[in-house]
Amino acid sequence: MDIIGKRKIWYAISLIMIVPGLISLFVFGLRLGIDFNSGQLSVVKGTVDSAKVEAAAAQIGFKDVLVVATGSGQTEIRFADPSPQAQHEANHQKLKTALAVQGLEELSFDSVGPSVSKDIARNAIVSLLLASLAIVFYVAFAFRNAPPPVSPLSFGVMAIIALLHDSLFVLGVFSLLGHFFKIEIDALFVTAILTVIGFSVHDTIVVFDRIRENLRREKGEFGHIVNVSILETLARSINTSLTVLLTLMALFLFGGHSIRLFVLALLIGIASGTYSSIFNASPLLVTWHSYKLKRLAKEAQIEAKAGKKAKA
Amino acid sequence: MSLRLKFGLILALAVVTALIAIPREDAIFKFFGIKNVKLQVKQGLDLQGGAQLVFQADLAKTPAGQHDQAMSSLVQVMQRRANIGGTQEVVVQQQGKDRVSVSLPGVKDVNAAIQQIGQTATLSFAVQASQGASPSLLAITGKDVSSADVTIDPQTSKPVVSLVLKGSAVKTFGDVTTQLNQTGGYLTILLDDQILFGPATVSSPITDGHAQLQGNFASVSDAKNIANLINSGALPVPVTLVGQNTVGPTLGKESVSHSLVAGLIGLATVAVFMLLYYRLAGAVAVSALVIYTTITLTLYKLSAFVPGYTIVLTLAGIAGFILSIGMAVDANILIFERLKEELRAGKSFVAATETAFDRAWTSIRDSNVSTLITCTILYLSSTATPIIRGFAVTLGLGVLVSLFTAVVITRTLLRLVIRQKWGRNPKWYGLKDSEVQL
Repeated sequence: MDIIGKRKIWYAISLIMIVPGLISLFVFGLRLGIDFNSGQLSVVKGTVDSAKVEAAAAQIGFKDVLVVATGSGQTEIRFADPSPQAQHEANHQKLKTALAVQGLEELSFDSVGPSVSKDIARNAIVSLLLASLAIVFYVAFAFRNAPPPVSPLSFGVMAIIALLHDSLFVLGVFSLLGHFFKIEIDALFVTAILTVIGFSVHDTIVVFDRIRENLRREKGEFGHIVNVSILETLARSINTSLTVLLTLMALFLFGGHSIRLFVLALLIGIASGTYSSIFNASPLLVTWHSYKLKRLAKEAQIEAKAGKKAKA
Repeated sequence: MSLRLKFGLILALAVVTALIAIPREDAIFKFFGIKNVKLQVKQGLDLQGGAQLVFQADLAKTPAGQHDQAMSSLVQVMQRRANIGGTQEVVVQQQGKDRVSVSLPGVKDVNAAIQQIGQTATLSFAVQASQGASPSLLAITGKDVSSADVTIDPQTSKPVVSLVLKGSAVKTFGDVTTQLNQTGGYLTILLDDQILFGPATVSSPITDGHAQLQGNFASVSDAKNIANLINSGALPVPVTLVGQNTVGPTLGKESVSHSLVAGLIGLATVAVFMLLYYRLAGAVAVSALVIYTTITLTLYKLSAFVPGYTIVLTLAGIAGFILSIGMAVDANILIFERLKEELRAGKSFVAATETAFDRAWTSIRDSNVSTLITCTILYLSSTATPIIRGFAVTLGLGVLVSLFTAVVITRTLLRLVIRQKWGRNPKWYGLKDSEVQL
């Protein structure tokens, strides 16, 4: 199987998968939950007459009331309480009473103040950046003695491109889900992205490790060695992600509702991570290598010309 | 260490951890004569139900150098107050620079808890010459109270809060009440600028420091709350509630049973897959995986004895654990794939096994370290919520344990198996006879 030779096709598939989400990210953005936006969220059991709930919430004085059925026998009621913080809990109790009158049981309640949500958002970005940076340096360090023609840093850079691929894909999907299905992202989503990053690199490193080993043992064209390495690790890559996806699938289907979206993000991200480690990260090493070769050749040509001129 | 000894140790480890890991392990302990040991995986609020409250401290009026001190005494006072309600295992922690999180497992009345914990509760004493006159504050505060208690007045059968003053406040109070008794002035006692007692005249000087407050308390529990507030002391800085996360007991129970089912199904599917694909090696992996699970559960349970490092299992933590099973399997898959390759290349079983472990090790190490890096960053990030922490801890611990099981347990078992004649059949490793030249 020639994976390296068809690399442009794999890049194109990646682009087709990522670009719609990316556009959605720019146009619609992400639908931020109360963790990032502050506000209140009450989850109740059963389906809800939304007009009734909205009326009750408006009477208490809540703003931006939004009632969403989650599709697993639960309903989320989002609102913002403009009254002073000290009255929030009393107001929440009023809502609970109004719900109880309709025979609805509250399963959980969250309230996030503006200062907290600002911190969560900042912290999410900081930890994403920190994790990515730490991983580049780690990969560069782990491959510090990689034999030529690839430099340790380019291993790190390609690993980062692969993890950007995976996190952008997940972000894009959730941006689309947010726009069309009102699905919001919360603090747990950041955890999912970080885990996807960890897994993506985990997968990529296994292939890189084989490339390094084969570079030491075999002589030959770089693209060929990379191709062989990918094929040798293919069964492992697929089997590993199969087992992880199987466990995640079990969690998605049978685990509690509260982590379903978290698991969905992991499912999408890890599937994408497997793809990118096979079809992006390692082929990109080859693309980068041949680009460098071409540039060197060009420089050599220019030098040769300059040399001729100088002679003449 | 001989292979046999290693195998014996692994067996012992498996048995011991299995005994600890299974539910109702206390019945087994009793059988061996160990009584009154009840181990339990500590469950987070999202699993057992309860509330997490986040309070923001207002440090604007506190001098810059005293912020840390103010925060730690704030945590202490809140801890005292939160424990009063009788809810189990309250955790009060500083979060970030100026926030305090309070976890109240199984709390029923969240509103009351918020009032009880978040009230500043500054006690002050004021005197007035006559009812209309401007009040002047005495130099007695909540810090001068050695105890507050609730009794029932036998005459009115209404609750009474009795205060016992200490130190120099006894004399100050004695002097003031003596003076008021003579001049006919009024005494008022306030809690957070709300009147607890008075304004009332003093019928006789109180020189022993024992004051009875016959305030109009609505109920005995109301009076008790106030006594508790006074006993636990005032908050050094005012706080406001900025975050709340309440999970009802129904949802918690549902989550536990759901994740148990999901975990078992996940484990079973992986086991079936490994057995089908890697046959005998798959069986080795499944054994290693079972031991992996019992070791991890044992660590969860035993961590309850290490204060400060107790692993609290949350919903996200369970996800982290199940995910780490995937990582544990990956190490096995890496080894077995390598083993197949080496066998195909014509190596003997013994040589192939050793090479497979050596070669697979760098991949296993490098890939797991990157996951550990992510876990560390998740855990350390300054405002990490308990959800994120729980996830990072279980995933990180899982990765560490899986490194151990892959390198020690899978390796020993595999070495043992290939010593047997029946263990050297390529078919048992998912290879065709034609792929291997023997």
